[in-house]
Amino acid sequence: MSGKTAAKSAQFASNLPHLQNLMKRDPASYKDEFSKQWQYFHNLMQTFQLQPSKYNEKLDEMISFLAQVSHCYKEEVSKLPETLSDILKNHSTTLDRTMRMTLIKAVIMLRNKDLISATAVLQLFFKLLRCEDKLLRKTIYQYVVSDIKNINSKHKNARLNSALQTFMFSMLQENNGVTVKTALDIMIELYKRNIWNDAKTVNVIATACFSKITKVMVAAIKFFLGKDVVDQNDDSDSEKEEAPKKIVKTLTLGHRVAKKTKKRKKKLERALDAVKKHSKNKSKAEAFNFSALHLIHDPQDFAEKLFRQLEKTTERFEVKLMMIDLISRLVGIHKLILLNFYPFMKRFVQPHQREVTRLLLFLAQGSHEVVPPDAIEEVLMTIANNFITERNSNEVMAVGLNAVREICARCPLAMSEDLLQDLVQYRTHRDKAVIMAARSLVQLYRKTNPELLHRKDRGRPTESMKELKVLGYGEMDAKSFVSGAETIPDMEAKKEQTEQEQGDWESCSEEDNDSDGEWVDVYHSSDEDVENADKQETEEDQKIREQKAEEISTTRIMTDEDFKTINMAQVSKDINPAKSASSKKASKRKRQDAFGAENSGGLPTLGDIEMVHKKKAHDREARLAAVAAGREGREKFSHGPQKMNPNASTTNKDKAKKKAFTMVKHKIRRKKVKRSFKEKQVQ
Amino acid sequence: MSKINRDSLRESIDNILKFSHETKKRKFTESVELQIALKNYDPQKDKRFAGTVKLRHIPKPKMKVCILGDQVHCDQAKANDIPHMDLDGLKKLNKDKKLVKKLAKKYDAFLASESLIRQIPRVLGPGLNKAGKFPAPVTHNDTLTTRIEETKATIKFQMKKVLVLNVCVGHVGMSSEELYQNVTLAINFLVSLLKKNWQNVRALYIKSTMGPSEKIF
Repeated sequence: MSGKTAAKSAQFASNLPHLQNLMKRDPASYKDEFSKQWQYFHNLMQTFQLQPSKYNEKLDEMISFLAQVSHCYKEEVSKLPETLSDILKNHSTTLDRTMRMTLIKAVIMLRNKDLISATAVLQLFFKLLRCEDKLLRKTIYQYVVSDIKNINSKHKNARLNSALQTFMFSMLQENNGVTVKTALDIMIELYKRNIWNDAKTVNVIATACFSKITKVMVAAIKFFLGKDVVDQNDDSDSEKEEAPKKIVKTLTLGHRVAKKTKKRKKKLERALDAVKKHSKNKSKAEAFNFSALHLIHDPQDFAEKLFRQLEKTTERFEVKLMMIDLISRLVGIHKLILLNFYPFMKRFVQPHQREVTRLLLFLAQGSHEVVPPDAIEEVLMTIANNFITERNSNEVMAVGLNAVREICARCPLAMSEDLLQDLVQYRTHRDKAVIMAARSLVQLYRKTNPELLHRKDRGRPTESMKELKVLGYGEMDAKSFVSGAETIPDMEAKKEQTEQEQGDWESCSEEDNDSDGEWVDVYHSSDEDVENADKQETEEDQKIREQKAEEISTTRIMTDEDFKTINMAQVSKDINPAKSASSKKASKRKRQDAFGAENSGGLPTLGDIEMVHKKKAHDREARLAAVAAGREGREKFSHGPQKMNPNASTTNKDKAKKKAFTMVKHKIRRKKVKRSFKEKQVQ
Repeated sequence: MSKINRDSLRESIDNILKFSHETKKRKFTESVELQIALKNYDPQKDKRFAGTVKLRHIPKPKMKVCILGDQVHCDQAKANDIPHMDLDGLKKLNKDKKLVKKLAKKYDAFLASESLIRQIPRVLGPGLNKAGKFPAPVTHNDTLTTRIEETKATIKFQMKKVLVLNVCVGHVGMSSEELYQNVTLAINFLVSLLKKNWQNVRALYIKSTMGPSEKIF
């Protein structure tokens, strides 16, 4: 019997995977075997300790074996995690590469079986980042992200998370560049995956914007700019849904089996991309995520510090651009006051400056209505002087005008009357791009402050223009009613009121009605002077309307239908000309696109400023359409004029084309033979 | 069909008043707040909204307003016993962050003379803006007291870091009719700000400072 077991154990010793399989199925009956292997492991370890830098194949196998079966013999292996992490800690850089990887994989497996705590593993791994081993770093990065994701998959363990977070944050203060970058990358990845999407993480990433290590700083700034494209070969991303997973599998299998060509590879990539996009569209609908910029605790301080850094920095121009971008976004979104920013930007406002359109965009981003108008007016003057002059090319002028428009959409008070009237004169310029840019500026000021425009440029007065109140600096338009509420059908309100209200309330509303009537009476009586009455009428009308709107919006709760009618009314106010005795022309003009109204909340886009190329008469689509039209009714793979009569006879040459090649081969050859003497001589 | 029944709104207002007057009277005037939870709203994509509306009745009568005025306004303020500061007083703060913060904390709102207001960011730095108390302008034509009343009656809707808004619309010293008007106007205005109006509203509550909240939608 004993001989048999000995033989068995010898067999097992050579075939650990087999033993592993058996143990997993029935741990209890293989306990002896395990203790033998455990003993053997200790012996191996002792020899290994003497020469830690040497690769030991037996030990390598043994470690992975132990890690595999560790969950079956929990008491026996209680020391294993500690031993493994000790080796890694003590000999981190001297270990053999393969050995180290095995050890790390074993630790990860132990962690997955919950035999070692998450914080301990994290600490160990961050120490290991000092080793110069790319594969190791990548493994660690992927593992940490997936581990934290798994911890938070079912429910969020706040205490553990905060412990891990504080550890990560302390890592950001390290000197070692790789450690800091990895910690930052991990946090950014976790934020993007909606796992650590709290303000604490964001603010720590914000501190990384001041790192001395350029790579770290750039990564942090890019995070806030939201520019990072999703990693293409991020495999762990595709583990989301069942169906796409299957598709991915079949696709990759097809690629593996079939002959590998560049075309196939491209095809596969494209297919995978499509799958990814598809799954993303489905899964990304939810998740209310405040963008990172909004979660910063003290944006003013942050922006000031960044600006100070920007002034001192000697980094490359691209990095500077990114810093400017971030500052301007902060200023625009949080409505900060950072007065030094504008003079600083003035030096970049030159037509020959690299990336000048983006710099102008940043200026537009960084302007808002709380900035003192004189600060921005200086910038506007610089743009006007450097860009919008006849000595510059048309594109430059158009870019300048567009930039002025974008800035003024956010800060209309910055524009002075003289400058605006000068700029508006470019409406009659010879170049279309300039004309369009100047017109858009006119449109903008028709909406915001028509007083500044020349009278002929103001356009036809609309109803909404009458209600428009030009806001001074710091002023806020607080109405005591929902604008447009007066258009809600009155009857309905009255009916409902009479149905539902008590007596005392009804009497109150009746009183109001009476007063309304009085207003009308007064208007009728003072009807003698036409001019006067006209003006008075509009003013009184306005007052009556406001009263009515206030009445309605304080007494009844509006429904969705009410809001629909209000919206309709507001839109029609924009289109319809104002009612007055003098103007009775029919409304021909369509509604103009509002620039300011939609843009002012968000940030401007580069397209708004770079919109300087006029559409060609023959653009690509038109040309392709013309080609397609010519192809119609033509045979495939044929060119030149076709036969008018399809039944007409064909030439021998045509016939030869349709014959099999072997039938005409000899003729071609003979043709060569029959060349004339001269032909031969020429060749 | 209205989303909120008028009678039930009145009833919940009455409940709130009853609770704070009879069930559990506090030693201070409780304020009445409107709480709004939003839905179908992606703060990253959709425009963040902010709006101000002037209510009919002043929700916080005890609000302290400070005048940052030129000579004329300072004299007026002195006559009416309103807290005020002139430009020299502001310059004395010397852009000191702590002092400006202290000033911002001391008052609930600021009014500045039109001639002065453009200089305020340069004189005071970003402190007032940071506290969300950037002054509103006053002209010489306005009477100070009416402007102050207007400022007191104005409430601001602003979404911060969560999908929930909270705004004060009155206090328990008001009659139920006054409260009803304020609440209605506030709700109407808020809903008119939203892109899809009522479809963006998850819930509405009103409550007094120490009382239980009443769900009205």
